[in-house]
Amino acid sequence: MTIDWLAFLQVFLAALTAGVVVVGFYALGLRLLARSGRIPVALPATFTDAITVLSPKQIKRAEKSAAKAAAKSPLTEGAKRLSLIGAFACFAVCALAVGAGILLIVLG
Amino acid sequence: METAALIVVLVIALALFFDFTNGFHDTANAMATPIATGALKPKAAVTLAAILNLVGAFLSTEVAKTISGGMIREEEIAGDVFPSLIFAGLIGAITWNMLTWLLGLPSSSSHALFGGLIGATLVGFGLAGIDFGVVMSKVVLPALLAPLTAGIIAFALTKVAYAVTRRYDGKPDGRAGFRWGQIFTSSLVALAHGTNDAQKTMGVITLAMIAAGWQSAEHHEPQLWVIVSAAAAIALGTYVGGWRIIRTLGKGLTDVKPAQGFAAETSTAATILASSHLGFALSTTQVASGSVIGSGLGRRGSEVRWRTVGRIMVGWLLTLPAAGAVGALAALVVVWTQAAGLGVVGVAIDALLAIAIIAYLYLRSRRDEVHAGNAMSEVAESGLAVKVDENPPPTPRQRRRLAQRQAEKESKK
Repeated sequence: MTIDWLAFLQVFLAALTAGVVVVGFYALGLRLLARSGRIPVALPATFTDAITVLSPKQIKRAEKSAAKAAAKSPLTEGAKRLSLIGAFACFAVCALAVGAGILLIVLG
Repeated sequence: METAALIVVLVIALALFFDFTNGFHDTANAMATPIATGALKPKAAVTLAAILNLVGAFLSTEVAKTISGGMIREEEIAGDVFPSLIFAGLIGAITWNMLTWLLGLPSSSSHALFGGLIGATLVGFGLAGIDFGVVMSKVVLPALLAPLTAGIIAFALTKVAYAVTRRYDGKPDGRAGFRWGQIFTSSLVALAHGTNDAQKTMGVITLAMIAAGWQSAEHHEPQLWVIVSAAAAIALGTYVGGWRIIRTLGKGLTDVKPAQGFAAETSTAATILASSHLGFALSTTQVASGSVIGSGLGRRGSEVRWRTVGRIMVGWLLTLPAAGAVGALAALVVVWTQAAGLGVVGVAIDALLAIAIIAYLYLRSRRDEVHAGNAMSEVAESGLAVKVDENPPPTPRQRRRLAQRQAEKESKK
């Protein structure tokens, strides 16, 4: 009975690398987005028979806090724009990493 | 020959039904976290999952080849009785799956399928019929290692997600944006599910076709119509089943934060996709559960409820031998009736048994109200294995800042 232990290591390393790239760059993108003054306040969808994660009061507070933080930002317009470009570049890296992974699987 | 053809047709029908129930049951694996965190509405989530399961089924056939050309030595055991034994194995898998579903025990559709097939082949042909090397390296070890791998990766990714977005100045951290990301990662999980789970049905159908001599044993690739029908069955099951399961999801996963859900789903999708590429036949439920536990532990101040983990793991470990035993029993009926010269009576008995089980479950599902006890996904349940502190302890940097502030206050006094 021969067991290819290397294959398990391959799975672990491939999944870890892909995960770190996707999560790391996405998180960095969110950080840069917040830095550029566009703090994401993604409202949870509300539906009748499932849970609501945030109450309307919490949502309002989050939006107010985001607007306040954006107004108080000490960054120049140029720096904000640079952060925004950086954020979208990070999101693009995530999408490219996933696309490349799927392509590798399809090409076999 | 006509009887053999009828049995192969029965195997195909039963395998597609199994595929349908797999999609029905596993919708929650992909869509549990985005619904719980409010990233997606249930209708959109179920539709997306169904479409991506369909697409995923076309991406790779490595797992199908593991089943059709690795686990069972069909070249050594070919004969008229083999399709009947595959049928018995499927009966074993479906019976065990349904029984665990009714009793609310954790299980895995995939391992039930492997167990049923192995049990039936052992009864029909003995040890020579199984390639234990392939079973160990492509089924048993991945079953043990994949949830662990997914858990470790999810733990690390949750730490990364929180560390990168953590702010010490009290300004909004933008973590709500992980909700958008979850639409993307949960789609990836649905896609990954299609690449692994739909393949198992393709593998079984291809195996039956090889056994009946309708396909050469040298080519284990599933035919196009097999791929299309398996993909359609799992997608339909996903679309139909989602409604029942999703109604109760909130109960199990209320504590999943968007950053945590994003990390868990990325880990699940990456582990399944990498494994599918190498032909490892995994239980996607177990991988997703491992990720949910790992990501829960990745949050500060969390601790494991070992009793819950133990219960889930015992269910996982039991599935393969238990489904094997049921498959073996079904195969015994086939073998005994054939030895007694009763032809395919055994297959007919097994078929009647299958119809009775399915009918009973259908009636039972109509009678019972869907509630957390019988419809909550196992992935959602595994979220309960980690106790998360609502007020986590401060990070080292936060501790240093607090100490600094306190020192400043004292010096002012």
